[in-house]
Amino acid sequence: MKETGNILNILEQSRDAVKKEDVSKLKDLSDQTIHTASTSQDPDNITVAVIVYSLSKIIERKRYREYPEWNNFYKTYIYNIENVISAIKKNDEEKISQSLRSIRAEIDSISGNLKRDIQDVFRKASINKASKIYEHGISMEQTAKLLGITVWELASYAGQNPEISETNLQLTQDIKTRIKLAVDMFRD
Amino acid sequence: MVKAIIFDSSTIISFAMNGLYDELKSLKGAFDGKFVITKDVKREIIERPITIKRFELEALKIKQLLDEGVFVMPEDLGVNEMEISEKTDKYLDTANTTFMARDEKMHIIDLGEASCLALSEILTQAKVKNVIAIDERTTRMLAEKPENLRDLFQRKLHTRINTKKENFKIFKGFNFIRSTELIYIAYKKGLIKISDGAVVLDALLYSLKFKGCSISDAEINEIKKL
Repeated sequence: MKETGNILNILEQSRDAVKKEDVSKLKDLSDQTIHTASTSQDPDNITVAVIVYSLSKIIERKRYREYPEWNNFYKTYIYNIENVISAIKKNDEEKISQSLRSIRAEIDSISGNLKRDIQDVFRKASINKASKIYEHGISMEQTAKLLGITVWELASYAGQNPEISETNLQLTQDIKTRIKLAVDMFRD
Repeated sequence: MVKAIIFDSSTIISFAMNGLYDELKSLKGAFDGKFVITKDVKREIIERPITIKRFELEALKIKQLLDEGVFVMPEDLGVNEMEISEKTDKYLDTANTTFMARDEKMHIIDLGEASCLALSEILTQAKVKNVIAIDERTTRMLAEKPENLRDLFQRKLHTRINTKKENFKIFKGFNFIRSTELIYIAYKKGLIKISDGAVVLDALLYSLKFKGCSISDAEINEIKKL
């Protein structure tokens, strides 16, 4: 894992934000992980970005708490985050990766409707983070690969993000020149 | 003279997600050349999505376009896979060692995108006039204005980006269009079978933008005035 000090700080703040049910803080913390995830492309950093964003959605949707599996899921989730924090403090790379994998594995072991909903939250969190990484300048295909999603999922989400298409930096050629290029190709 | 449009997965996906298969077919009919995809692009638009329920139908429809010859593989133009593969590796290595953030090489593009560059180079050497149709912006920025890509990284990552400027010239000379320019051609050639012409071009351009084509509102407005 890269920039462990920063990730430790983000996870500790995330844990506190969960206790306070501070959804906007969690989303902000998740965005902070994207810089490192974009440059290092370290799988553990990317997983942290997805986990923190997912947490914001899980906390935001209070109806999840009505599921009978909620209490057990929530306790285990927080326990696993504590494990990641502890592993980072000990600088135990193997334990960090293992604890992060446990968080994802835990979701697969939930029963009932909560499993379906939480899996959906994680899927959408992955697409959201992919859109952010693409926004940072990494290509669509490479970003999709990093997040374990398809280019199809990323494309439609990214298409609705004005930060990607409206930045002046993406204007690399005059539109008339590009249209002329296309017209010339179709000329007999 | 033989001509070819090399399609990246991003452009085909923009068409497919809007159900514009007939328009792709009509465009091919109006084009005196080949619509080509590489095997890495084929994987992204057919082989992978065909295993995912949500995109299975789109993948099947694209496969049908391939079966019908709307799209062809590079072999159809006499280009062998080994040559593409070697050049793809070259472009991947060069692109992914061009920008450095905090002393780390930034991995910015992947196989599909690099394979389009590789095929374009091979076709150009064989005197086949070609353009790359690509809706994602990173590859296009890398080739057309790499300094803009550096500035984007710096702005977003809030850190200084070191560049291997000598690599920039390797990406010069490629020509890029997007799904939006292709749909403009279809519109101008009367290939769009939707009435109410006043808004149809606007609707088509925005539908492609919202499915991932990197084009700004200002560019769309300019296209509509042409």
